[in-house]
Amino acid sequence: MKKISKDESVVVIVGSGAGGGTMAFELTKAGIPCVVLEAGPHLKHEDYVNDEWEAFGQMAWLDSRSTSGSWRVAKNFPELPTWIVKAVGGTTTHWAGAVPRFKDYEFKALSTYGKLDGANLLDWPITLDELAPYYDLAEIAVGATHRHGRPPLPANNNYKVFANGAKGVKYKHYATGPYATNAEPYDERPGSIQDGFNFQGDKNGSKWSTLVREIPRAIKTGLCELRPESQAVQITHDAAGNADAVLYLDAEGNLHRQAAKAVCVAGNSIESPRLLLLSASSMFPDGLANSSGQVGRNYMRHLTGSVYARFDKPVHMYRGETMAGIIADEQPHDPSRGFVGGYYMETLALGPSFLASFADPGAWGADFTEIMDAYSHTAGMWIVGEDMPQSSNRVTLSSSKRDKWDLPAANVHYDDHKNDLAMRAHAYEKATNLYESVGSTGRQLTPPYPSTHNLGTLRMSANAEDGVLDNYGRAHDVKNLFVSDGSVMTTGASANPTLTIVALAIRQAEYLAKQLKSGEL
Amino acid sequence: MNNYVNNTPNEQLLLVRMLRVMFPHKNFSDGPYEEAAEAVINAANSTPGQALILYNGLRELENSSFSTLDLVAATTYLERIEKSSFFAIVQSSGLVALYNNHDVWKTLGYEGPSFDLGGYLNRGFNDLDWLPEPRITEYEEESDQ
Repeated sequence: MKKISKDESVVVIVGSGAGGGTMAFELTKAGIPCVVLEAGPHLKHEDYVNDEWEAFGQMAWLDSRSTSGSWRVAKNFPELPTWIVKAVGGTTTHWAGAVPRFKDYEFKALSTYGKLDGANLLDWPITLDELAPYYDLAEIAVGATHRHGRPPLPANNNYKVFANGAKGVKYKHYATGPYATNAEPYDERPGSIQDGFNFQGDKNGSKWSTLVREIPRAIKTGLCELRPESQAVQITHDAAGNADAVLYLDAEGNLHRQAAKAVCVAGNSIESPRLLLLSASSMFPDGLANSSGQVGRNYMRHLTGSVYARFDKPVHMYRGETMAGIIADEQPHDPSRGFVGGYYMETLALGPSFLASFADPGAWGADFTEIMDAYSHTAGMWIVGEDMPQSSNRVTLSSSKRDKWDLPAANVHYDDHKNDLAMRAHAYEKATNLYESVGSTGRQLTPPYPSTHNLGTLRMSANAEDGVLDNYGRAHDVKNLFVSDGSVMTTGASANPTLTIVALAIRQAEYLAKQLKSGEL
Repeated sequence: MNNYVNNTPNEQLLLVRMLRVMFPHKNFSDGPYEEAAEAVINAANSTPGQALILYNGLRELENSSFSTLDLVAATTYLERIEKSSFFAIVQSSGLVALYNNHDVWKTLGYEGPSFDLGGYLNRGFNDLDWLPEPRITEYEEESDQ
């Protein structure tokens, strides 16, 4: 791997997940040297374990954090607002793989939904038409099934219940994808062996992640240095207000400085705003690039919930690709349902260890053991829909809690909007009907897990006063500072966000490369 | 690590009973509950504060003759203390240990690690036969599925 001097001004990418990993590959492909600072270790496929809690301890972001607000997570998991990964490849190493595109109107949330009390809605500064060519590139990169000639994955047991239930309630838009795991060998990755472990890292390497594709390919160009266990703690700037370096800590807590020509922040939607807030200076007293006051605000985590349905006959939901089942019939915006936006239903399975902890956190007694006793006869689905951006849903620096380096920890505040509550109630009812149509004998309505989809805390906006970033994800206030992860999303849309993060990053890398080559940066 | 609370037979007995009342599976043997009880003690021993909570909670169980109560009375007792820190420690660390137990997995019908066995590709990932084979491709408007 190429060694890059800490004094050489290069593009410094903070994070190696969907956004950061894609930036590294696209920029080095264009001949631009990059240093990638990854907070976590470089885990490989052979390091992963097929065990929920052991893998969680190995992969999850467990640094000190706090929560506030009325969301259930703050009650049951007050120190664990998110379930994301701290390792090379970021959260792409544990994501499930569902890759629908966002819809045209979801980029125009304010125009489509109108003003909603308490919601800080805004139209994106880009349209689906502008993003469509990059969606194609992203789908080819991740090897989405059902797209560009890729075959679908076969039906697993959980999907059979899900799809027959969909048919039972007259839904039409169900399929085993699009899904970013190979049904057959593609792009140097083998076909799925249906081992059922996604959230624990994919030992087989059939699932797309930046660990299997973008990071090694970026390193192969000879222009990328990956530094694992390097946690960015501050972005510094020169007298003109341009970013000039990133300060980071190694595993032992030694402080390093990497000179930067441009900085791309991709630390996921909690750490990215935290880094900008930690980078406050006399020129940027409220945090770097925060003249709008929007840094950390409008935190979205998707409307989620799960339904676990019991049957008289066996299902064995844990066998096979976890989320290779998507229903889109409830996705379209239809305000007659009593809420704006829509939601997908997606197959989901947990092992007994996680089901016990998350099915109804804190529950005990005979009602709870009934859920567990039915484990092998249970089918599961996840509900993922658009939640409303709210100014007060917000990532801030904690005034009391600090991380192990004595830096302020992130506090994550979240209250459900009444639109979110109405949508979740609707989704629970529809999911119940779906499973009853194929003979379900009982069901557990499971509240949201610690957030896996973390969005919006550094949003893009046409006007500098409404958001942090322009339409390429560049800070309105700092011309060589970019954000390359899900923080950029102006609104959350209903689909799983990874594909859109990758598409936006490919587009941003193309723009940044042009800027660097033309000498504008 | 200091063992503030020791895993004596008496403490085992009280905790196993408490865990059985909390998670009353008729078909679980004693082994997983005993291992969960040990996990609760180990978790509480991580700090003196937690250990004291466990120590005092167990003393109260003993003083209330908890182990002689039938399931209904014992459940009522736990409902009364369910907001206590003692209950929370036992519930949270006991639950994680109990359902992470491989004997429990077997009883519940979960097969555990699969990669080394070639996944489920040839071991039943699609063996459900009580429903028809569903369509796996996306809906096409013109077709009548």
